[in-house]
Amino acid sequence: MSEVDLDPVIHSASRLRVVATLAALERGDRVSFPRLQKLLDMTAGNLSTHLRRLEDAGYVTQTKTHVGRTPATYVELSPAGRLAFERYTQTLTELLKGAQE
Amino acid sequence: MTKSNDDTRRSAVPDDDTPPDPREGLAIVAAQQRRVRDSDVDDRVLFGVWGVAWLLGYGAQWWTATTSPTRTATGVGGLVFGVLAVAGLVVTLVHVTRATHGLAGTSRQVGAMYGWAWMLGFVGQGLLVAGVVRADASPVVVTVVANGVACLVVGLLYMAGGALWREVSMYALGGWMILTAAAAGLVAMPAGYLVMSLAGGGGMLVGAALAAVRRRRA
Repeated sequence: MSEVDLDPVIHSASRLRVVATLAALERGDRVSFPRLQKLLDMTAGNLSTHLRRLEDAGYVTQTKTHVGRTPATYVELSPAGRLAFERYTQTLTELLKGAQE
Repeated sequence: MTKSNDDTRRSAVPDDDTPPDPREGLAIVAAQQRRVRDSDVDDRVLFGVWGVAWLLGYGAQWWTATTSPTRTATGVGGLVFGVLAVAGLVVTLVHVTRATHGLAGTSRQVGAMYGWAWMLGFVGQGLLVAGVVRADASPVVVTVVANGVACLVVGLLYMAGGALWREVSMYALGGWMILTAAAAGLVAMPAGYLVMSLAGGGGMLVGAALAAVRRRRA
């Protein structure tokens, strides 16, 4: 096992934070863009960029709705995204174990 | 972690954002899990606020009932309990509304259904008490029904919540509250208030303490 096996889409500190946050929500839960931004302390532009990259990879779904008259975006980790995250953290655990041995 | 891994990592990730090493990566995941949990509904707050409301509210009712000829709480005792219950309700609604703002999907739906069960449970309790009053029950009977049914609703919903979120301590506390409801009805008044205060309110405070311990361990 080497670091090459790590999913390049998630293997960045910022996107790992985004994916880990979404994965910490219950399956089938969506989070609004502002709430996600607050959980991450990221700028809106920065978060948008990372979300687009994750969406392109099929890891994240963004839904645009309206709350009253204000438009709102809700973000959700896709089943593929959850799987990729689980695989990624598992690889990290194995790498860490390997480094300690 | 060896330094030689750095080159592989950089070539594997054509990104401006620094890739974390395994230890950093897992720390990031743990930190965000904590962050999400801290932003969620805090059961320490809910158990705590209702534990205090019951402990003091039923305690005050017991205190006024000990000198009352009907062996039930006086208007002052009822008022103290009422004020504390309204305060508990306000704290609960504000906390839950804030904690769930910006969330949608399954758990929001589950939470809303669970919340409505509480609402309807206590509307039912109120109407039952009204029915008993209308049937010319004595103050003691009215109190036994009012306290017992309230405590039974709490117990059943704690058990349901414990099953729903797989929280054994909440489930066990629900069982305890049902026993409390039965005990409060079986002892002579005004001791029933004391059972509600100490076993009921005290039980909820134990629930708050257990939630705090679980949080520290996680």
